Amino acid sequence: MFDELQNTLMQIVGSIAWGQWLAAGFLLLLGIVLGTLVARSAGKLAENRISRHHQVMIRRLVFYLVFIIFAMAALREVGFSLQVLLGAAGILTVAIGFASQTSASNIISGLFLVMEKPFEIGNLIEVDATVGEVVAIDLLSVKLRTRDNLYVRIPNETLIKTRVVNRSRFPIRRVDLLIGIAYAEDVERVKELLLSLAEQNTVCLEEPKPFVLVTGFGASSVDLQFSFWVVQEEFLEGRGAMMIEIKKALDQAGIEIPFPHTSVYAGSHSAPFRIQLVDPEPTQNKDRLDADQKN
Amino acid sequence: MKEPDLKRSLSPGMTELAESQRDGVWARRYQLASGQTQRHQLGQIRLWVSLLDMEWQVRHESLPADADPLTWHETVGHCQPSSDLPLQRFIRPANDQNLVQYLPAMAQLPTVIRPYQPLTIPAGGRCVLYVGTSLWMQVLLGEQQQVLTELPLATPSKTWLGANTMQGEICYASATYGRLVLEAVPMRPWRAVTPVTINNRRTKPLLLERFNLPTPLLSLHRNERGQLWTPGVVVECETDMSSASLRIEPRVTAAAGDCELIAPAREKLAKGRSLVRAFDHIFG
Repeated sequence: MFDELQNTLMQIVGSIAWGQWLAAGFLLLLGIVLGTLVARSAGKLAENRISRHHQVMIRRLVFYLVFIIFAMAALREVGFSLQVLLGAAGILTVAIGFASQTSASNIISGLFLVMEKPFEIGNLIEVDATVGEVVAIDLLSVKLRTRDNLYVRIPNETLIKTRVVNRSRFPIRRVDLLIGIAYAEDVERVKELLLSLAEQNTVCLEEPKPFVLVTGFGASSVDLQFSFWVVQEEFLEGRGAMMIEIKKALDQAGIEIPFPHTSVYAGSHSAPFRIQLVDPEPTQNKDRLDADQKN
Repeated sequence: MKEPDLKRSLSPGMTELAESQRDGVWARRYQLASGQTQRHQLGQIRLWVSLLDMEWQVRHESLPADADPLTWHETVGHCQPSSDLPLQRFIRPANDQNLVQYLPAMAQLPTVIRPYQPLTIPAGGRCVLYVGTSLWMQVLLGEQQQVLTELPLATPSKTWLGANTMQGEICYASATYGRLVLEAVPMRPWRAVTPVTINNRRTKPLLLERFNLPTPLLSLHRNERGQLWTPGVVVECETDMSSASLRIEPRVTAAAGDCELIAPAREKLAKGRSLVRAFDHIFG
């Protein structure tokens, strides 16, 4: 019995063409190594001429191309007919498609994202409430690095469906600051003061010209919008520095930045409030403190 | 020329002062001893370069932007400036021979210049504008001229030049106006003069409000009076504003006198044709 089993096993093992499988395995390994090497050198070759985004795309494309060629050669080596395999793959795709709708939808969304190109690697984008730099654009998802150094993965499907703001698409950005000044202040004077601040500040671009708008008469202040343009990379720095300068300049010029005031109306235009001074209540009836009771 | 007269008229103590406080010169090799500090006041900065046994130290501070000093003061002494100034330290190269020199450099970005008021050039007319642009200072060491650092001699402010806010380029905004008369251009050791010739070959007048000077492509030359000049720039405006072509003259204008090349251009163009394309927004 045991001998028969051993003989059968020996026959099966002996019938497998080990040489072919080894050759196929070697081809696959060679494909990976060569693909990586060729992709790396292709990326380096184009490094100075194209953006980081395109460089990553080219590297990935070259790798897959080389790997697929070697994988096909490996299959042929083992003896699979490619036609049969492709037919089987068709049926398999339908089965897998039903089983993994989300992944398929993400892959297709990813393809559309690559074609539409709303952002590139290195751009600062805003998706829902997440703001971050695009680190990678992959088959299923886009990876972001937020400003507080968190790694965020966003599925491609979400990016296709929701609003995406690309903050680094254009080289310059406008900073809008909302400033409230007291009703007693001269708006023209404040406007001149703000524009002179923009002129002195080197982060602030000379053109497009900065401007000041009165946006409304608020509950306790006249609301102004002070807008100026900065180079995209200097947005945060420019806004912060300008706010400090505005506070300083308004304080120096004696211009009040009001906080909410509440006026209490006494019921008549002229009548003042009646104020009566009352003696404090006698404290005799109050309980004595515990400490006093001990004494 | 005036220095010997000054020495004779001053007391011996004062002579020493007059000797130590000199006018700075571009591209001159200064030799410092270990422990010495060279102080410069030029343009809108003050600069201290110190040589120690093992290192070079560079400190600088900016002066108010409205300062317009006429001269470049240079002093050598043993006093170091206050320690709260930002400090850059550099390990000494083996063969610096205690030598330091200063070279001027044009801006890395194109510079937008304007006439004092917009200027109309009639059809077929020609005009020459003289423009002074602020320079950067490079600190170099030894015979090999190793660049230590680079500082702007006036605080540059930026501007945007383009048809809209999506397409265009970031440029420096010139602090001075373009002048029609050369004598009206304020000559400073920290500014270089560029003559810009604009030929209006169109049948309509040309309103010149602003002009984009390709500063990174200009080399710097010094004349006998120590003034810095760049080669002239010629703009031919033939059909419309957007198709104007720009070329840089091979030599410095005759008005500058005899000149020597002191610093090459930051960027060089391989072909003359690409210049027109690179400066699409010549007139903004």
